[in-house]
Amino acid sequence: MRRGLMVLAGGVGERMGRPMPKQFILLAGKPIIAHVLDRVRDLPDITRIIVCPPEHVSLTEELLAHRNLADRFTCVVGGATRQESVYNGLSYFEGYDSVVIHEAVRPFVTTAEFQALIDDPAENAIYGSSIPFTVLVGHEYVEQTLDRSSLVNVQLPQKFDVARLRAAHEAARAEGRVFTEDASMLHHYGQGRVRILPGTANNIKITQPVDLVLGEAIYSEYVLGGASD
Amino acid sequence: MKTCIITGASQGIGRAAAIRMSRDPEVGNLVLIARSEDGLAATRDAMESDGKRIELVAFDLADLDAVPAMVKRVNEEFGSIDMLLNIAGYAEPAALLDTTTENIMTTFQVNVFALIVLTRECVKYMRHSASKILNVASTAGVTSRPGWLAYAASKAAVVSISNTLTDELAEYGIKVYSISPGRCATELRRKLAPEEDPSTIMQPEDVAEVIATLMRDDETCLDGQNLIVRQAPKAGR
Ligand SMILES: NC(=O)c1ccc[n+]([C@@H]2O[C@H](COP(=O)([O-])OP(=O)(O)OC[C@H]3O[C@@H](n4cnc5c(N)ncnc54)[C@H](OP(=O)(O)O)[C@@H]3O)[C@@H](O)[C@H]2O)c1
Repeated sequence: MRRGLMVLAGGVGERMGRPMPKQFILLAGKPIIAHVLDRVRDLPDITRIIVCPPEHVSLTEELLAHRNLADRFTCVVGGATRQESVYNGLSYFEGYDSVVIHEAVRPFVTTAEFQALIDDPAENAIYGSSIPFTVLVGHEYVEQTLDRSSLVNVQLPQKFDVARLRAAHEAARAEGRVFTEDASMLHHYGQGRVRILPGTANNIKITQPVDLVLGEAIYSEYVLGGASD
Repeated sequence: MKTCIITGASQGIGRAAAIRMSRDPEVGNLVLIARSEDGLAATRDAMESDGKRIELVAFDLADLDAVPAMVKRVNEEFGSIDMLLNIAGYAEPAALLDTTTENIMTTFQVNVFALIVLTRECVKYMRHSASKILNVASTAGVTSRPGWLAYAASKAAVVSISNTLTDELAEYGIKVYSISPGRCATELRRKLAPEEDPSTIMQPEDVAEVIATLMRDDETCLDGQNLIVRQAPKAGR
């Protein structure tokens, strides 16, 4: 079984209100992406790539060199959208069976959680958590209610059969259709069942300034085990 | 087998620490760094070398640019870096009005900048193992020392660096210790207090004993604080 792992590192800092791409912002003293690299650096038998925009390649390579990780990750140039970046990343995994996709701005997935996803017998699997609040369809007025017990908060990492994911991407490209993440796309094009593994509430995506505040708290409690007295 | 790097090992506290660490059965490789080849060789001659590899690295820590290649080579040679004892230090006591720019630069270059760069390079190879770093600061770094401005300021920096690194490296299981010896009978102390009788004060071996205790695997509680290492004056002397 040939396995690959891609870390999507394409974010720009707009929503954070900062000029710097989100993944380079410091969280608990280190760039957000470095948290992710530390979690996946020692996963055995897996080829690791970081998919980033061309203008961030040298910065990302520098960050790898500073951490003595240059021989564990390869930087690959992504595309203009998230979907294109995954598609470009897949071209690196020609001849591979399975690929794990993760995002550079989800720093709180443990190595054990990555390993559990990889080891799960399902060929396609994602992490998902229940939705603890009520969601409705609507804009200015409520248009439709939704049963939150039937909904899932879709998380990453996600694991897919490479051939099936590629087929789904080809179909989406042919139709010019855009999906926000790959499990929905795979499902839409009938490329096999996608298993949902129970995710944790710690697995937040750092997108807004308040997430950094939450992130610091999660780091000290969850990663350091509540080290401060 | 653990690899332990010790700076300032050509004399004083660094030499005593090297000799003491050579008695630690967990430590298989000792890398001794200082400028004086003769001093390093004399340290080696006093160490217990049974089954140990002892490497002498005559190196000027002020040459910051050469540090990465030196550390890389050590890691390649021994396969790991498990302990780093930052003991090397420089002192040139002078009152503010007599302090030269050169004195300030050299003091910070050796006591602070080299310590940071060496630590940075070692951590690249230490990560994800239960490793330990020990920085030798000084009581001069936490109290006022008229006449020792540059030295005292540099040691305050070492205390601060140790605090920050304790938290920054906690995730990797790397423990960071800071010790602040009081007066201890060495060449450096003789520069700072030429009139003092060295036989009346703490000896380098006493500090080395504390260092060895902190480096033990079962010592897990004393990191992250600046430990004052001192001996009460000997009555009647
Ligand atoms: N003695 C005290 O009372 C006392 C009290 C508090 C803290 N301390 C601290 O304890 C540490 C050890 O000092 P010590 O008292 O043992 O003094 P020491 O006998 O003068 O030893 C200083 C050591 O640092 C090394 N060193 C200095 N500059 C260097 C450079 N540019 N490159 C490489 N190595 C260099 C010296 O080796 P080479 O000359 O061979 O290069 C020597 O081995 C120092 O950090 C000092 O500040 C001492």
